[in-house]
Amino acid sequence: MPIAADILEALRLELRRGTLILAVLGTLRAEQYGYSLKTRLAEAGVDIDEGALYPMLRRLESQGLLVSEWREEGKRQKRFYRLSADGAGALEQLTAEWRAMNAALNSIIEGGRT
Amino acid sequence: MTDLVERYLASVERRLPEKTAKDITAELREALEATLDAKAAELGRPPSTDEVAGVLKAYGAPAVVAARYEGRMHLIGPVLYPWFWPAQRTAIGVIVAIFVVLTAIRALASDNPVQAVLQSADKVIGWGLGTFAVVTLVFVLVERTADPVKLAESCWDPKSLPREHIRKPKSLFESGVSLFFDVLFILFWTSLLKFPNELPLREGASVAITLSPVWSVVYWPVLALGVLSAAAHLFDMLRPAWSRLRSAMSLVGYATGLGVLWVVFQGRPFVEVQPQPGTSPEDLERALRLVDGVFLVALGFGALVWAITLGVEVHRQIKATRMSLPDARAAACR
Repeated sequence: MPIAADILEALRLELRRGTLILAVLGTLRAEQYGYSLKTRLAEAGVDIDEGALYPMLRRLESQGLLVSEWREEGKRQKRFYRLSADGAGALEQLTAEWRAMNAALNSIIEGGRT
Repeated sequence: MTDLVERYLASVERRLPEKTAKDITAELREALEATLDAKAAELGRPPSTDEVAGVLKAYGAPAVVAARYEGRMHLIGPVLYPWFWPAQRTAIGVIVAIFVVLTAIRALASDNPVQAVLQSADKVIGWGLGTFAVVTLVFVLVERTADPVKLAESCWDPKSLPREHIRKPKSLFESGVSLFFDVLFILFWTSLLKFPNELPLREGASVAITLSPVWSVVYWPVLALGVLSAAAHLFDMLRPAWSRLRSAMSLVGYATGLGVLWVVFQGRPFVEVQPQPGTSPEDLERALRLVDGVFLVALGFGALVWAITLGVEVHRQIKATRMSLPDARAAACR
């Protein structure tokens, strides 16, 4: 019996949730405002819903991983985000974790095929 | 920024904690501006109202967007929560309105009106609490059985967003009190409720005040105004945001009210005074001047307030029409 689409979608979202934070933190090593960050992520192949991106940015900022400031650019006030010192440390640790997990998962998935 | 985006931002802001609302909506405005700019660049023209509505629909219902900024767990989840209190207010408001009418009728028919009112007050608390419990239970069941995000997204249309910035939504308390006085006035006007009309002048002398015959000329228009006012205030309890229909009701009401006052002012005096035993002709003359003067000031002030409010409501209608004009421009672009 094929797996129901909504179950698959829920699993996919669960899988993506943690990786999106890593993608956002990684992109914000260079300063970005909301829309440019979304565009950068999309160009890299990471699609993120704007409605989810902004609350995530606020949460990461409240956790001290990002810093932000309002600035005028192109005659418009924009909020620019960048990685804080704590954020850079967290990104380093999360990247190491990701690589280790990726290697382990690859080994499991590839091992299962043989 | 289009009217639709402003209405959307106002709807989101209303659902956010006051402390962070301005900051979040400023960022949301920036995000929507950037998205709409990109859309305009893609189309080679400003997006139409339908296209702006499409962008807002994709962004999410105001309740859902606001809920994403809330990280807490609730018995009623953050998606349904913005509907919870309006639903409670409406349900309890309707119950209270029914009780006010029933209590008034029961008090009028009773030998002991005070006791009848107290008995009803006791019951209305029970019914109010019961209504609160039932509405809460319905929300908890929907929260547990349905997908609130899907539900919220499916039942909203960006074009139906209220024009909250045209007039602040009326509070339930304000509408409830107004409705209470409307019902009281209707009962008085139809003689179902009588107030003491004897005015003491000095020791042993008093006069009875009654409305002059000019009021009988405007009996039906005044009754119609009373009923229209009660209907409008009941409407406010159910739909507190500004709407063209509600505004049209106000315009008709104030214009008719001013017409009625004009007729009444032509037929002065407003009242008649009947002497009671021990009252001299001078007392009678003095009482008539006093009470008629009070009516003149009160009705004159009322006419002034209605005329100003009529002007404000006309201004709101013009403002709402001007805000809708981009629709016509967008249609012309297509």
